[in-house]
Amino acid sequence: MANGQFPEALIQQLSQKFRDHHFGDVMVVGGGVSGIQASLDLASSGFKVYLVDKAPSIGGHMAQLDKTFPTNECSM
Amino acid sequence: MEGEAGDFQITLIKKPKYIDEDQCTGCTACVEYCPVKYPDPFNQEISQNKAIHIYFAQAIPLVTYIDDSCLYLKEKKCGICEGICKNHAIDFNQRAEKIEVKVGAVILAPGLEPYDPGLRHDYGYGQFANVVTSLDYERLMCATGPYQGEILRASDRKHPHKIAWIQCVGSRQVIPGGNSYCSGVCCTYAQKQVILTKEHDAEAECTIFHNDIRSYNKDFERFYQRTESLPGVRFIRSYVSIGREIPASKNVTIRYSTPDDGVKEEEFGLVVLSVGLNPPADYTALADKFGIELNAHGFCQTNPVDPMEATRPGIFVSGAFRGPTDIPESVFSASAAGSECGELLNYRRGKLTQARIYPPEKDVAQEEPRIGVFVCHCGANIGRIVDVPATVEYALSLPHVAYAQEQLFSCATNSAKEISDMTREKGLNRVVIAACSPRTLEPLFRDTLREAGINQYYLDMANIREHNSWVHSKEREESTRKAQDLIRMSVARARHLEPLQEFDLPVNKAGLVVGGGLAGMTAALSLANQGHEVYLVEKESDLGGMARRLHSTLEGLDVQQYLIDVVGKIYRHPLVHVYTEAAILETGGYVGNFATKVKSRGRVMEIKHGATLLATGAEEYRPTEYLYGEDERVVTNLELEEQIAGRDERLVGARSLVMIQCVGCRNAERNYCSRVCCSHSIKNALNLKALNPQMDIYILFRDMRTYGYYEDYYREAAGKEVRFIRYEPTDPPEVEPAVGEEGLGVLRVTVTDPILGKRLEIDADVVALAAAVIPSAGSQEAARLFKVNSNPDGFFKEAHVKLRPVDFVADGIYLCGMAHYPKFITETLSQAYAAAGRALTLLSHDTVVASGSVCEVNERKCIGCGACISACSYGAIEFRETRQGKKAVVNPVICKGDGLCNAKCPTGAISLKHHTDEEILSQIDAAVQP
Amino acid sequence: METAAPFKEAIDELRENGAEAFKFCYQCGKCDTVCPWNRVRNFSMRKLIRETTFGLIEIEREELWRCTTCGRCPQECPRDVKQIDNIIALRRFAAGYGVFPGPVKPIRTVSGNLTADGNPFGEERAKRADWAKDLSVKTFEEGMEILYFPGCYLSYDARLKKVAAATVKILNKAGVNFGILGAKENCCGESIRKTGNESLFKRLARENIKTWIDHGVQKILVSSPHCYHTFKNEYPKEFKVNFEVVHISQYLYELMNEGRLRINKDYAKKVTYHDPCYLGRHNGIYDEPRALLNKIPGLQLDELPESREKSFCCGGGGGRIWIETPKSERFANLRLEQALAIGAEELVTACPYCITNFEDSRVVLGHDDLIQVKDITEVLQEVV
Ligand SMILES: Cc1cc2nc3c(=O)[nH]c(=O)nc-3n(C[C@H](O)[C@H](O)[C@H](O)COP(=O)(O)OP(=O)(O)OC[C@H]3O[C@@H](n4cnc5c(N)ncnc54)[C@H](O)[C@@H]3O)c2cc1C
Ligand code: SF4
Ligand code: SF4
Ligand code: SF4
Ligand code: SF4
Repeated sequence: MANGQFPEALIQQLSQKFRDHHFGDVMVVGGGVSGIQASLDLASSGFKVYLVDKAPSIGGHMAQLDKTFPTNECSM
Repeated sequence: MEGEAGDFQITLIKKPKYIDEDQCTGCTACVEYCPVKYPDPFNQEISQNKAIHIYFAQAIPLVTYIDDSCLYLKEKKCGICEGICKNHAIDFNQRAEKIEVKVGAVILAPGLEPYDPGLRHDYGYGQFANVVTSLDYERLMCATGPYQGEILRASDRKHPHKIAWIQCVGSRQVIPGGNSYCSGVCCTYAQKQVILTKEHDAEAECTIFHNDIRSYNKDFERFYQRTESLPGVRFIRSYVSIGREIPASKNVTIRYSTPDDGVKEEEFGLVVLSVGLNPPADYTALADKFGIELNAHGFCQTNPVDPMEATRPGIFVSGAFRGPTDIPESVFSASAAGSECGELLNYRRGKLTQARIYPPEKDVAQEEPRIGVFVCHCGANIGRIVDVPATVEYALSLPHVAYAQEQLFSCATNSAKEISDMTREKGLNRVVIAACSPRTLEPLFRDTLREAGINQYYLDMANIREHNSWVHSKEREESTRKAQDLIRMSVARARHLEPLQEFDLPVNKAGLVVGGGLAGMTAALSLANQGHEVYLVEKESDLGGMARRLHSTLEGLDVQQYLIDVVGKIYRHPLVHVYTEAAILETGGYVGNFATKVKSRGRVMEIKHGATLLATGAEEYRPTEYLYGEDERVVTNLELEEQIAGRDERLVGARSLVMIQCVGCRNAERNYCSRVCCSHSIKNALNLKALNPQMDIYILFRDMRTYGYYEDYYREAAGKEVRFIRYEPTDPPEVEPAVGEEGLGVLRVTVTDPILGKRLEIDADVVALAAAVIPSAGSQEAARLFKVNSNPDGFFKEAHVKLRPVDFVADGIYLCGMAHYPKFITETLSQAYAAAGRALTLLSHDTVVASGSVCEVNERKCIGCGACISACSYGAIEFRETRQGKKAVVNPVICKGDGLCNAKCPTGAISLKHHTDEEILSQIDAAVQP
Repeated sequence: METAAPFKEAIDELRENGAEAFKFCYQCGKCDTVCPWNRVRNFSMRKLIRETTFGLIEIEREELWRCTTCGRCPQECPRDVKQIDNIIALRRFAAGYGVFPGPVKPIRTVSGNLTADGNPFGEERAKRADWAKDLSVKTFEEGMEILYFPGCYLSYDARLKKVAAATVKILNKAGVNFGILGAKENCCGESIRKTGNESLFKRLARENIKTWIDHGVQKILVSSPHCYHTFKNEYPKEFKVNFEVVHISQYLYELMNEGRLRINKDYAKKVTYHDPCYLGRHNGIYDEPRALLNKIPGLQLDELPESREKSFCCGGGGGRIWIETPKSERFANLRLEQALAIGAEELVTACPYCITNFEDSRVVLGHDDLIQVKDITEVLQEVV
């Protein structure tokens, strides 16, 4: 899911901050499409976000899908 | 978790990965040597994985981790990987870390869990090798899946020829272990799987067994037709049971019902179970931890009029945890939750974030090109087909290529860093990345170039995945050659690339909302609550739109009361300026800086705004069918709703009422499903039964599309003896006036019941038509004025269904509500919050960046013919008087760089930066002369 | 195509007769795909349900009488349409008009016999205990451990008397203090109820209950799953009585675990076990019979392709035991073939109807030499 929808830079920024200080605006629980989109929207409108997922990587179920309807594009 | 909205303290446990993430390069040498093999859950346990591994090919971060199956962790044995790793990244001493975090709000997006058909032994899953779930099947189809994208059967690793999909597995059922709701996504994902299967193997025979096809969403009906029209594809209306496994072939038989020929048994090579969606695993624990309530199905309890908020203030939900949803809705509900958080935390916006700082940009324009080529394996997506090392070798042989290397995933964090490091180290001044489509990843790699200190337009991407390895998966040698051709072309183009500057534009902080229905009002309030001035323009004299004609919802909302509340808030909010009886005269400008002329109650004013939200709603179709307009006993669903609300005597006293579904849509003229009418009819039927339990109510339908929780109301209506009769579009019901029993005038409805094998004749006192929802005239008007696109059905077209579901292609304009597609109030509200949330990502900034890849007019060549002006769909070009006469000029801020004008200009006066003739011709030359 | 109007009066009458859940049907067709009938000929429960919905029932048709109440379709129906209740309502409705199509005619005789003699065969009531004559079986008295209720088939049918004998032999081996009620015993009424004759069922049941109360019965041992089902579920529901009921397979398992019964011989045979609908699906007893068989040394137990929850009906339930079924349409034939296909030497079960049907199929199919049909007690009596 490292792609244009979720620019790597932002995700990096999110995870980098995670290590630094533990004080933020919003915590997003679940790193599937929805969680990532929420984090990115919040981050780009000026909030500091923690994104947490129980799996070792973000991506959620969408990452397991091959392509997705109705446009049948790759879900990665 | 403790605390309250605005001030939560949360304790997290960070599980150890036993890997030092800063040391691991993702080289996977350790994986090779790890002795523990076990079924990989990411690949649905179809293939094997190791105790130390990377979670999946494009994982973020792309580093290995060690899981519970590790021998060292279990028994202090092994430790092989520690010795293998050259970077000393393995650290068995890591312990679970406790992290305390303070935040103001929480968004829960834990998603869903697919239904497990193994638990109830549904359909031989886990028992027969060739019965798989749809999620297993996704992995089978996927290039990074267990068989590298080959669809193979577990029993003999052969391609199945006949494949069956069984719908509603675990859904729409009240038997123990199942879910009563409809999962809403499986009809369409099964169709997607059929289409993809046919792409893998054109000869494959695909059969979908179902009881209703629920193509209720935008463009789904066409998707359904596209699937249905493929050769060798059958849709059979029957739930099924598994017969047996044939010992020799391991094929599986399926038994299904037909109305005319009884039960048939047919053999299939592979059976795919279209499993439904369950709440996320451990949902009760999650609910306890966060102190929120769940609904009866185990999903998050939300309020229909505040659909993003959980039962505890400060906690919001998005995505499938709100109930079964698809990806577009998961994405926009996320933006919606974001906007609601924004309302709560507006006071602290921007306090904790820092801007990115890039190194200063080096001027390399005068330097000789030194091109670096990075060839991506995309895991196995490219690497399995294209000989990547040979391609790297080849790239090095090309003129001006100073450096080339391969990468496992160029898009992964470490690879991107590698690109910027190498660029700096090797003094590269152009970069070619041979990977996937620039559509998704170009922004990322441009950012990488900025990190490397060179202009971001010195990048070219050769698409060797979509254009090559995916489509030529059978021709390995040829596709290697094609990859090399594509790279040669990119390199040729890269030589001519020029540095371009992007520029910052100021942003006007106000928003314009067009349409004062629930969508428009909700979005307006959300923006205003975050401190933005909002202008709300409504063409009628009252706010409320369609909701003014609705009285209740299935969930029990009193719509009129709710509407009064919202309208009240709108008028009381100091930042919301309402214009009713208003018409938009003209509009212009560009992202962050729009100006719109509005005429309201005789006054004309100009509004300056940074963002525009179009919420112009939809209308009910005026039927020409079934005697509507000729006989007053024939009404539409909305008229019926009004009569119910008004306790119309003739209606309440009716002995018999027939509803006919899909009137005016799902036909050639309007090729879409209006989505709300199945549930709307059920709502009306339940309300009527409550008023007069004796009334005989019949619903004549094609497919009952009561998706999601609406399925429960479908069953409830059946329980109240509302009778449902299916009709085929080729044999629609007939309605005619007649004289019924006791000599009373009735409407006689005749319809064929396929199961009975009889024509049923029903004498009705009232006939209600589920008339289509059609795009409003106002939407068409708005589309024209704002130069935004509509889909073939006349509903607004979003920039991208999944990636940008509430944005238009034109920057700074957003959409929500029924103007986008018919939808229920709750759905409208979440989309309205989403549109507000998206608008906020623009309005909360002081500036916005415009692309450097725009058109430019060479005034000397321009003859002022205006061909370009009519070609531009964004209105970016206008004339300017010069001494040499009229000349076209491009407003670089509006120009989207699509280049339409270039092709039209008879003198070649317009060129598109970053796609100059020189760049393109050199690319073409490189294509034809190896 | 025929045109018809919904027939409201018929719908109302059907509802009075107990049809209710049919209204939930969404015509998915699942029921038809699991119904054993569709393995031998077309039969559509879905269509019957649909006809009920509109009151358009053709009561002269044999279709109403096909369902063996095997319980497969209600178990799988996603809308919880209680098909068996509906079918019984239809039969009550038809029986109310005295309509019994050709092959169903014997039901009238059976009803007559049950009314007169308390058994379906028209045998004398006085001879009900004759099977026990030489077996030193006591008459039940208050204070005895358990009442043994063999039921009509074990009491009168030549083949099934052997099962009664085997049962007694085992009970005696285990030193169980039991008795029978002989001529005072009535048919349990289960099957006649499924043919729609509610009043006869009630009468038989009332008489049984009265006799048990008079004799101080607390715990009842049955050989037939049909008796088990009605005593365990229907009597308590209709008459609010609460006797303890055990099926012989459960009871023997209990005795074995308590150490009262011991296996001391080998039984070197390949057997398979058929789950009777009324023991398995209707009452969830799958494990005890298997556990008993598995305790026997030398015995090899192989599962049939459709077993446990998915067991394939023998065709004897729902009153079908009394209705003539053409040879080509007998479920038991298919079941026997299944047993042969897995190489079983004996087909073991625990229900008198199943045994009757399978024995019949053995003869009809000419498989007398290839396979034996046994009640579980007949196997056990050899090894205890
Ligand atoms: C037949 C039917 C049955 C329904 N049943 C239910 C139900 O049972 N439960 C439920 O939850 N939902 C139901 N809905 C859906 C519900 O009506 C919508 O979700 C909700 O009202 C949509 O709000 P909206 O703001 O998007 O559109 P609208 O309510 O249509 O509002 C759009 C507004 O924009 C104005 N406008 C249009 N063009 C312009 C312009 N150019 N300039 C200025 N103003 C303009 C219009 O006048 C209107 O006021 C039903 C809808 C229909 C059609
Ligand atoms: S009807 Fe609903 S549950 Fe069934 S397959 Fe379609 S979307 Fe899934
Ligand atoms: S009635 Fe409406 S929701 Fe139902 S299928 Fe037809 S168009 Fe779709
Ligand atoms: S399985 Fe149930 S819902 Fe489906 S057709 Fe049969 S009775 Fe109707
Ligand atoms: S109960 Fe058994 S025999 Fe009767 S209809 Fe259902 S599946 Fe068929």
